[in-house]
Amino acid sequence: MSLKRYTISVDGTIPVPALLYDDEVLLISQEGVGIYDGPQKAPHHQSGTLHATTHRLFYIDNAHSFSRSFSLDLAHVGRTEYYAGLFTSSAKITLYLNDPPPRPLTSIVADRAESSLDSPAASYQVEFWECEVCSNRNPIGLTSSAAFVCALCGVPRASMKAPITIPSRQTAAGSYSLSKSLPSSSVNLAKLRLSSSPSPSPPVPEVPAPPATGEVACIACTFLNSPLLQECEICGTPLPRKPSLAPPPRLPAKSAPASRSATPALDSDDDDDDNPDKRMIRLSFRKGGDKAFYNVLRRTLLGRAWESKAVAAAVEAPSSSSSSSRPLGRSGINGILRSVETTAATAQSNMEDALADLEALMVKWKDMVKLAQDLNERLTAASTPAPGISLVPGAPLGGATTLSTPAVEPEEATFIRSSLAQLGLQMANAPVTQDMVRDERKWFEELAKELAGVLEGSGAKGGEGMMRKRGIVALDEVWGGWNRARGVALIPPATFLQVLPHLPSFTLPPIRMRTFAASGLSVLHTPPYGSATFASRLVSILTLVGPRTTVEVAQEEDLPIGLTEEMVHEVEMAGEICRDDGGSGVSIFSSPGAPWAASEGGEVHWWVNIFRGYVWDGQE
Amino acid sequence: MALTTHTTSSGFVLPSIHAAKPFFTQQPNPATQKTVTENWTRLILSYARHKKLFTLRIEDATDDKSEWDEVLRNPRIQRRLRPSHLAAILSSMVAANQAMYEPPNQTSSVLLFWRSPEEWAQVLYDWANSTGHLNTIMTFYEIVEPPVPSPLEGLPLPILRKAIAVLTKSARAQIIAVADGEGVRFLPGVPGR
Repeated sequence: MSLKRYTISVDGTIPVPALLYDDEVLLISQEGVGIYDGPQKAPHHQSGTLHATTHRLFYIDNAHSFSRSFSLDLAHVGRTEYYAGLFTSSAKITLYLNDPPPRPLTSIVADRAESSLDSPAASYQVEFWECEVCSNRNPIGLTSSAAFVCALCGVPRASMKAPITIPSRQTAAGSYSLSKSLPSSSVNLAKLRLSSSPSPSPPVPEVPAPPATGEVACIACTFLNSPLLQECEICGTPLPRKPSLAPPPRLPAKSAPASRSATPALDSDDDDDDNPDKRMIRLSFRKGGDKAFYNVLRRTLLGRAWESKAVAAAVEAPSSSSSSSRPLGRSGINGILRSVETTAATAQSNMEDALADLEALMVKWKDMVKLAQDLNERLTAASTPAPGISLVPGAPLGGATTLSTPAVEPEEATFIRSSLAQLGLQMANAPVTQDMVRDERKWFEELAKELAGVLEGSGAKGGEGMMRKRGIVALDEVWGGWNRARGVALIPPATFLQVLPHLPSFTLPPIRMRTFAASGLSVLHTPPYGSATFASRLVSILTLVGPRTTVEVAQEEDLPIGLTEEMVHEVEMAGEICRDDGGSGVSIFSSPGAPWAASEGGEVHWWVNIFRGYVWDGQE
Repeated sequence: MALTTHTTSSGFVLPSIHAAKPFFTQQPNPATQKTVTENWTRLILSYARHKKLFTLRIEDATDDKSEWDEVLRNPRIQRRLRPSHLAAILSSMVAANQAMYEPPNQTSSVLLFWRSPEEWAQVLYDWANSTGHLNTIMTFYEIVEPPVPSPLEGLPLPILRKAIAVLTKSARAQIIAVADGEGVRFLPGVPGR
């Protein structure tokens, strides 16, 4: 059954290369292959040659190449399995097929009417379409993007009259009629399938058939009526006739509306195939070559050459006039995958468009830099003579001639130069430093204003400033806090340091930077923590309450101990205080042999500098 | 905090600074340390003069039995001068010609010049003059170990030599080699000088 449903019979008398589409490539051939339809051998396909192309698998029967050959679209193949063979059992490749495709029209036709179309040979006269502009007969390859554009004049294939009398047949089958407005691709597909040409059927998932006893919804009150009724049981509205009930969920069969309704009606034996385990075809390699063939096949399946074409077709299709009516909606995972692919393809092309500009810029950057340089030089040349003239307006030196060139306004020059600088085209040696400094100063001042807000807490927002409660903060903490407050466009440390000198003018009380000589630690501090102020405060504390250790001072000042140490040391270096490092009291016995340095156990106590101004009061 | 002077059992008046703990600590601030050293130098020299001490060794800073103990240690504030600090003070004293390393080529022991060589020279000459030893030849031993107590008693020979050298320069003394060592002859100087 799988064989019948998935394969399309071809005329094996034609050499395989002649059966290929434009963009299809024959990859590998292997003779001596038998086919299993599901678990059983297919009696008519036991000895033939297998050809794998990028899109299809061809089986050309040795004995009856005309009638028993077929092709299988690789798009149907869900997964493969390889069996290496054992003793008399030959190596096999099992192809598990996806959900059943709509039944090829050939079989419908063959089943319903013994028409001449049954023969595959009858198909080849419609393998071309005629361009309506230049009348070139273009070969049809569904997988080829060329199928939608005339190869000669490049005009897209417009929606056109259906070249074959499908509609009549379809209406006879009681299905949806193909409208004239169907997009070209659908028409093509219909046509192709009708003619049983070797075109791949799209991998359309089959929607499960509705329950046979499907009730009929009233179009007026939506009451579900028995299918036997002619009118609604509730409101008496005439019920839609049964054939037109063809359930909407079955609609979406992408591009083969022709076969849609026929399938369930005709294939009474379909249910056998719905078991996924049975939906498979086995290739039995009686004469070896299985390994190479399997490798090629697997690579081809991974490559999915047919899908890229489908995407290309999907992208091109909307250009046709009736794209909106095209039944694009596919259901199931395939539909989702397809839409994802389409999105990805669109994004890719958008990206390429966007990056094309960037690439152009990369090519042009040298020119841009040159241009900027040139502009700079001209500005300098234009502005240099200007002040000289203004200084001597009445000079008889023929200033008029120089004046004839319109002097560039300084504001304009500044603007142009700052624009160039912002573009990163600032020349290092360009003589615009004066102007740029003017701008930079502004920039630093703005930054300083912002930093002041961070430190003192902007009154409007009521935010708590970093230094609202603390008089002294280490520089790294300020930098980190500021950048955290900014969130974006972080300030590099170098800029931060350049901003700091501007800070006192924007803060009240002025916040200044101070660097400790001993460790190089830099802090921002309010006036009470300036070196002189702190020193005098410390001295008065020591005078009032006596010697203090660093820790005690830190507690009193509510400062970190490390920071206090730095500050106290600075005061000591200024000579305001002196130290008593203790630890060498008489109580601690230090023998001559013992390392005296080890006796430095005491904590340093800070004293007011008692030596300053000391007058000898001992014995002469 | 009022620091007060303290009179030791030997009758020496310690300056009030000796009661301040920082006085016993080497100060990192060079300016402060200079004052500390100056005060220590003054204290050491005045104590040496008081007790007629000529030698000060680093070990005295750690020796409770040393005759310097009263100065180098202050039990009332639980402080003592550290040997390293003392060494620094001694070196600055040597540099200021207020002491000399003795024996030479080491730094742990000094002779203190609580009188400068010039002052000693004057004392020596005055003593010789007053005791009628002018124009006589005296050995060094006779000078530093006189039968009658004199201010030169116990004077270390290096200091004596320095003093004599000063006198020699001004032609008031003359070094003479004698049988059992060195001798000196004091010359009556020119009154005008």
